[in-house]
Amino acid sequence: MARLRRTLHVAGNDLRMMVGDKVFFFWTLAFPIIFIVLFGLLYKSGDNAPQVAELTVVNLDRGPWGAYFVDKVRSPGVNVTVTGEEPAEYDRLLVLPADFSAKIEARRDQALDFRKRSDASIKAAARVETRLFQAIARVLAELVLYGDGDLTRFLDGHPEFRDLVQVKSGFPANTVTVVPSGFDHSIPGTTVQFIMMMVLIYGGISVMEDRKKGVLVRMLFSPLSKGEVFRAKLAGRWAMGMLQALMLIAVGKIFFHLNLGNLPLALSVLAVFSLAMAALSVLVGSLCAKEDVIVGLSVLMANIFAGLGGCWWPNEIVPPTIRKVGMVSPAYWAMDALHKLTFFQGRLPDILPSLGVLGALSVVSTLVAVRYFRVRD
Amino acid sequence: MRRLLLILGSDVRRHLKAPLPIIIFILIPLMMTGLIGMIFAPRVEDGQLPPIQVLLVDHDQGLVSKLLVGAFDNDQMKKTLQVTVTDEAEGRKRMRKGSASAMVVIPERFTLDLLDARPVTIEVVKNPAEQFLPDVVEEFVNTMAVVLSGAVQAFAEEAKGIRAMLESPLGSISWEMLSPQLGRAQKKMIAAERYLNPLLVRLNTQETTAAGARTRFTQADLFAAILPGMAIMFLLFIVQTLMRDILSERTDGKLRRMMTTPLRPLELIGARLLGGWVMGMAVLLVMVAVGTLVFRVAWGPFGDFLLLGAAGAFWTAAFFALFHALVRNRNQAGALGAPLILAFSLFGGSMMNPEAMPKAFRAVGILTPNRWFIDGAALVREGLFPLAALIVLAGSGLLLLALAVPALRRRISE
Repeated sequence: MARLRRTLHVAGNDLRMMVGDKVFFFWTLAFPIIFIVLFGLLYKSGDNAPQVAELTVVNLDRGPWGAYFVDKVRSPGVNVTVTGEEPAEYDRLLVLPADFSAKIEARRDQALDFRKRSDASIKAAARVETRLFQAIARVLAELVLYGDGDLTRFLDGHPEFRDLVQVKSGFPANTVTVVPSGFDHSIPGTTVQFIMMMVLIYGGISVMEDRKKGVLVRMLFSPLSKGEVFRAKLAGRWAMGMLQALMLIAVGKIFFHLNLGNLPLALSVLAVFSLAMAALSVLVGSLCAKEDVIVGLSVLMANIFAGLGGCWWPNEIVPPTIRKVGMVSPAYWAMDALHKLTFFQGRLPDILPSLGVLGALSVVSTLVAVRYFRVRD
Repeated sequence: MRRLLLILGSDVRRHLKAPLPIIIFILIPLMMTGLIGMIFAPRVEDGQLPPIQVLLVDHDQGLVSKLLVGAFDNDQMKKTLQVTVTDEAEGRKRMRKGSASAMVVIPERFTLDLLDARPVTIEVVKNPAEQFLPDVVEEFVNTMAVVLSGAVQAFAEEAKGIRAMLESPLGSISWEMLSPQLGRAQKKMIAAERYLNPLLVRLNTQETTAAGARTRFTQADLFAAILPGMAIMFLLFIVQTLMRDILSERTDGKLRRMMTTPLRPLELIGARLLGGWVMGMAVLLVMVAVGTLVFRVAWGPFGDFLLLGAAGAFWTAAFFALFHALVRNRNQAGALGAPLILAFSLFGGSMMNPEAMPKAFRAVGILTPNRWFIDGAALVREGLFPLAALIVLAGSGLLLLALAVPALRRRISE
């Protein structure tokens, strides 16, 4: 018990020193919040939105079919603006040529120019393009139904297209009921990324400095053993990661209505993840002798792991090979477990594989960190 | 001047003797560029999307549902949709695990109801953790629904015949009576072919830029768009590390000893500034070389880019000269320097495309060297001279220099 108290005392002291540093709050709270806002807005305004995709139709048609076709294109989620000439600014543009009606009435095939801006939302462009295909299919079905009759009289009366086959979409039962917001995606990713970066940088540098300044050696003059010093350093860095996670989750809950599903399980995931990072930070601090090297290595590792692990973008858009490579990243397993909790209302059995991998990583990192832990240069 | 060059040479040699931090800071932007480029590279040959995992549950097992399943399985769609036919319980279990982007459920009596021209509903269950791919599946099913609805309406009478055949024993069907119906169906097929082969109305899709010109975005273009932003971000980190000598030499007393020699303060300041600029240029050139060789980045007219790089490195050296003249010690420099660089990079467009940022963030970005360097590099890539970027970087760099020199002189003589 006395040993545990001594260990916790040193760990608590390390944490107090870190929290006492004003810049600590910039790195652990202010900067991650800027990231959360930016990436949250990006998720929202990127490919998840716009809710309504804009389509500009330049209707040069001299007959009635152009307007008829535009009516077929109009559908929920697509806002159609009809103009008589090509505008300078547009996201997506469909040109109905002057002879559009004439060609249909003569049953002559034609290709319509559909232009999409390369810098506009890909998702909106895909939605508009499929709606255009659907409109074409509707018109063609009506033409087949109409038969061989005179197409100049088609609009006077013809068999109407009916949507016999309807599509109902939704999410799996017992998961989410509303579409997750951009912040539900960005907060877990940013939290995982910044735990990695800050625990590695702060934790690594402070272990290195304590060793170089002789603080670790002097600790051995107290009743602390080398093993207790190691455990105290590990616990201090783990507490730092957890403190950061708690602050970001609290901010997420208060300001962005973050839904992490089962909160105790989400915190368990972050706890095991923080432990792995704490062990890595002690290892980095034991192996490196220069602050710049620790910062560089930590930034490199944290960014690559975050990118591969799905902290910055939805993993679904990542090519399968890179997704497999991403499994080497601890962030991948943390994000996988958090996704299961957030989006699938997962329970303990659902996240056990991810927790297992993170737990194994924590054990291995700790064993390697113990092996290389030095109290003097 | 000779003394200035001697100090410069000594500084460069010293940094090259322990190059690990510089190597790591050069590696980071290159690896980040490689990673982002590989993930977001346009995949023209295999379609723009990664393969989408779709689960298909067919409760109907009828003629029309098999046609629908076949539509998922055609050669063109196979590249995009990877379909696994499964039963509903297993499918829902896998959807709950997030193992697929979407599950499509075809209901019982789908074929019979459709042949009777009764409305039917296909269910699409979407993966809530994904934002893009489930919607692709939903739109595909929507399109198939329109095609099926059209086909059933166009061949409504024939559908009734098929319906009767499906429900009657084969021996009870009078083939003679079917003959006129088959004849009518053939006529409709021939009529439909006029509209479908080739399609009476089809789309000619083009990608355009804002000006309406055509564009083709390659992987090398993507690397070229990312690398300048990453390069300026880590150039700031590297030059900050190098210029920190100004502080450490004062702390460990080297500066005082140097000033006992015939060295003048201006020569020392000049050497430090020149050192930061030269090392910055060297680092930038290494990144350019790797970018060209590994990522096949086309930078545009190289002389123009070199001029832009020189202005960027000069700004960086002047900025950190002033910064290190103002901060009290190494700890303060470390604590404030990195947040400043990250703020420049975040608002200036090194971390994300400025176009995707909120307007207020973009406005702040104009105050950062990152934004001017990135915009300048984009202009050079397009073959244009980056005059505005050069004027802003060099002009503000000179202003920073004018402020840094007297501040550093004061520090040295303290």
